[in-house]
Amino acid sequence: MRYDPDAIRALVHRDRIHRSLYLDPEVFDLEMQKIFGATWIYVGHESLVPKPGDFLTTRIGKYPIVLSRHADGKIYVIHNSCGHRGAIVCNEEKGNAQLFRCCYHGWTFKTNGDLDAVAMPRGYGKDFDLTNPALGMGRLPRVGIYRGFVFASLSEKGPSLDEHLGHAKDSIDELCDRAPEGEIDLSGGVHKYLYRGNWKLQLENAVDMYHVPFSHESTVRRSGKQFGRRAGEDSASAISDRGSAAQRWEQRSAWGARSTGHSYNGHQPIAEQLPDDPVFNAYRAMLERKHGAERTKIILTPKRHNTAFYPNMTLQALNQHIRVIVPVTVDRTEVHVYPVMLKGAPGEMNRSFVRHLNVTHSAASLIQTDDLECFRRCQDGLNAQGSDWVWFARGIDTDKQDERGDYVNTGTVEIQQRAQYSAWLRLMSAKG
Amino acid sequence: MLDKPAVVTTTPLGELRTIERFLIHEVQLLDERRFEEWRDLFTEDGAYWVPLEPDQVSPDGRASLFYDDKQMMDIRFERLRHPNIHSQSPPHRTCHVIGNIVIETIDEKLRECSVISNMIMTDYRMRTQRLFSGRVQHRLRQEGDSYKIVLKRVDLINCDDVFELIAVPF
Repeated sequence: MRYDPDAIRALVHRDRIHRSLYLDPEVFDLEMQKIFGATWIYVGHESLVPKPGDFLTTRIGKYPIVLSRHADGKIYVIHNSCGHRGAIVCNEEKGNAQLFRCCYHGWTFKTNGDLDAVAMPRGYGKDFDLTNPALGMGRLPRVGIYRGFVFASLSEKGPSLDEHLGHAKDSIDELCDRAPEGEIDLSGGVHKYLYRGNWKLQLENAVDMYHVPFSHESTVRRSGKQFGRRAGEDSASAISDRGSAAQRWEQRSAWGARSTGHSYNGHQPIAEQLPDDPVFNAYRAMLERKHGAERTKIILTPKRHNTAFYPNMTLQALNQHIRVIVPVTVDRTEVHVYPVMLKGAPGEMNRSFVRHLNVTHSAASLIQTDDLECFRRCQDGLNAQGSDWVWFARGIDTDKQDERGDYVNTGTVEIQQRAQYSAWLRLMSAKG
Repeated sequence: MLDKPAVVTTTPLGELRTIERFLIHEVQLLDERRFEEWRDLFTEDGAYWVPLEPDQVSPDGRASLFYDDKQMMDIRFERLRHPNIHSQSPPHRTCHVIGNIVIETIDEKLRECSVISNMIMTDYRMRTQRLFSGRVQHRLRQEGDSYKIVLKRVDLINCDDVFELIAVPF
């Protein structure tokens, strides 16, 4: 095989990676096997399948799956493939069913993936076991749920979900704790966009603070501030690579776990200004009734902007959303963006979250489109024969280790991407 | 000499030919990138809405591709005019065609009418041409001899598709 562990190690250095990581279909196939086929992958959220029989279809990398809530009320993650001839069984994006029925020869399956019945069973000989579990759709070997976030793994072995999430789990807690009922709701629809670029471009970008004044230059108004990032606000943070605005951005925290690949960047300056309007004050009062003033203050203090859960999900606290990265081919990626509503919060507040996410992260939005253009240009430009290397060296001399052994720094560093490629290297060079 | 009586020139509310001229003018403004003039066609409380789901009931609490009031249009078009908007360097070129215009309802009291049409828009940028089509609903309010848009709703046939970046309204 061309990419044995030694060949993989030659592609990733501490401060740079080889451009074939974005270009080579063989690398992509190996990623599907060794990353998407091995580690914990975010597959959906419980609020998307609230009732028994509810299901949604998605993919882990290129592998089609069904996320289903079975009659027993539990979540199952099932291969979306008929146990007979392999056809896609659940053809819709979402729905509710008592049984899943294959279109081809009418085999039916329970909503936990088990075989229910084979059509015209008398045609099979007496030695053919129609109760053989291998004839079901098959379930993924491991499913883990944390505060409604459903993760699954195609591998029977490996760290527990808790070990896998590590310190990144706090980002899920921080978001969920902001809901008066302690849970989030992702059922407000989904933005879906496509770019002609490698999946890792989106993952790198979600936790990149360096690109903001340049990629998003057109979102900065004449005042030097970005347009309002939240409903009712005229303007957001001052964005510049010079002066006091640049200094404020350099104070943001930065974190990356080299073992798991998760990372986050600190909150944007604007997030420190909490709204002061009747709706927000009513919301704050709800939290205070539940948690007391002291704890509410901590909950509402912004800490992180984007957190990237390696390899396929990011969570943003400012324009709160969950972003799911679905690699299609080496140079084609789909991204699904779900607005986050806070259960128990005033309806007006949740509606305003959803509305403003249209502005920042729809395929026709004012922010995301800048990034999509940059991804397209990266993918195209990496074909150039000038240099083989993509650099993530920013801040490398000032990385520090925290008590967990993870790496911390501040500002517009590339520590997050260094963590991602450290995890990439570990997974891709693993034996087996 | 006797003054001539003032001639009432206002065409009746919901007159098809006037509305057709208005709708053609509206999409021409987009194709000519006269975005600020397009914005001015909307009433102060006007909105432009492109749902993300077939038969989406409301933009409230559900994600939409576009849901702009006039203030958001200002921000959107200020950005489209920014000299360093990378996604518009080079810009998208667009061509709208509208047809199958039907006056759905007329409300004399509000001086409003609801108009349904079909729309095809092609856009082109960087060796990629795309085709969008859908059903458009205009809620128009008569002002003087012409109309203002209270709501323009565009239901794309592929509203729940996966989209590459979109810059110009449909």
